[in-house]
Amino acid sequence: MNKFLLLAATLVVAIQTSPALADASGGEAAFGTNGCGDCHYTQGPAREKTIEDQLAKKGPELWYAGSKFNRPWLEAWLSTPKPIRLMKYNSLEEKNPGDHPALSAGDATQVADFLMSLTSDVVVAGKIKAKAHPKGKLIFKKKMPCSGCHQYEDRKNVRGGASGPSLVGAGKRLNPDWILAYLTEPTVFKPVKMMPVFKGILSPKDMEFVSSYVASFKGE
Amino acid sequence: MKKSTLLIASLFIVFMTEAACASEPEAVFKFYCAQCHGLGGEGDGPNVTADFATDPRNFTKTAEMEKLSDADIKNVILDGGPALSKSALMPPWSKTLTGQEVDGLVQVLRGFCKCKGAP
Repeated sequence: MNKFLLLAATLVVAIQTSPALADASGGEAAFGTNGCGDCHYTQGPAREKTIEDQLAKKGPELWYAGSKFNRPWLEAWLSTPKPIRLMKYNSLEEKNPGDHPALSAGDATQVADFLMSLTSDVVVAGKIKAKAHPKGKLIFKKKMPCSGCHQYEDRKNVRGGASGPSLVGAGKRLNPDWILAYLTEPTVFKPVKMMPVFKGILSPKDMEFVSSYVASFKGE
Repeated sequence: MKKSTLLIASLFIVFMTEAACASEPEAVFKFYCAQCHGLGGEGDGPNVTADFATDPRNFTKTAEMEKLSDADIKNVILDGGPALSKSALMPPWSKTLTGQEVDGLVQVLRGFCKCKGAP
């Protein structure tokens, strides 16, 4: 057997026996049979070019879900989903009806495997640690308009606006490093979005402070 | 085909493509501004809860809007509320919107107030 064939055979065996890939593959099937693809797309890069493109979507894109979410939260949420947004996706008039389908526990595990395999290399691991940094808090609550659109925790009270995703419990849901990447390179993830672009307005350090602060929200 | 004709044709295609990608000013308003200012521009978007620390401007109030020049409005859109000593809850949109979109928004707001504003 020549060297090329040996290498190819080894790769085939490695791929077939890799638990991560096998899990992701099963999860992708479960993603399909549960109809998740009717509302969410999973192949990057981002497709939206216009407001109309964004408004045509029924749900958030998931092609970087593995970089965005924390695995334990994601798996639990898939089987017992609770509204993250107060308003229906892409609507300013209708409340979120809270009708996201719930997956069986087995499917939730498999779909979480699949979604966690979808990552973006823009997200750099290990840069942000959750911390209620005073400067991050000051920017979030006073200097910038974050609280105008996002609910957040304020001394056990929930405050803030309704048009953006709630950030209550964001530390459980979101990867802190993704929060920073979303602030520094927003158009990679969402080229057209209702949230302003803060790149060039906030300094890189201030974005780190805000990311740490948001990641410190641990409430339910 | 002459080179100049080819160049003009290419520029036309580029222009038309960009024009096709640009959203109408009303769509821009509904997407970015209505979350606080309301779909009818009355300052009553879904973000305006009891916690909201200020009243977003009601663009249909002609007397108030007449005091603002188009330049004032553009400055606030680009640099946020603090540009006119107003609340930081009005975001800076300078890195989000194009100049053409900001110009379009000024016209949408003038449509709400049915006024021209200060020179």
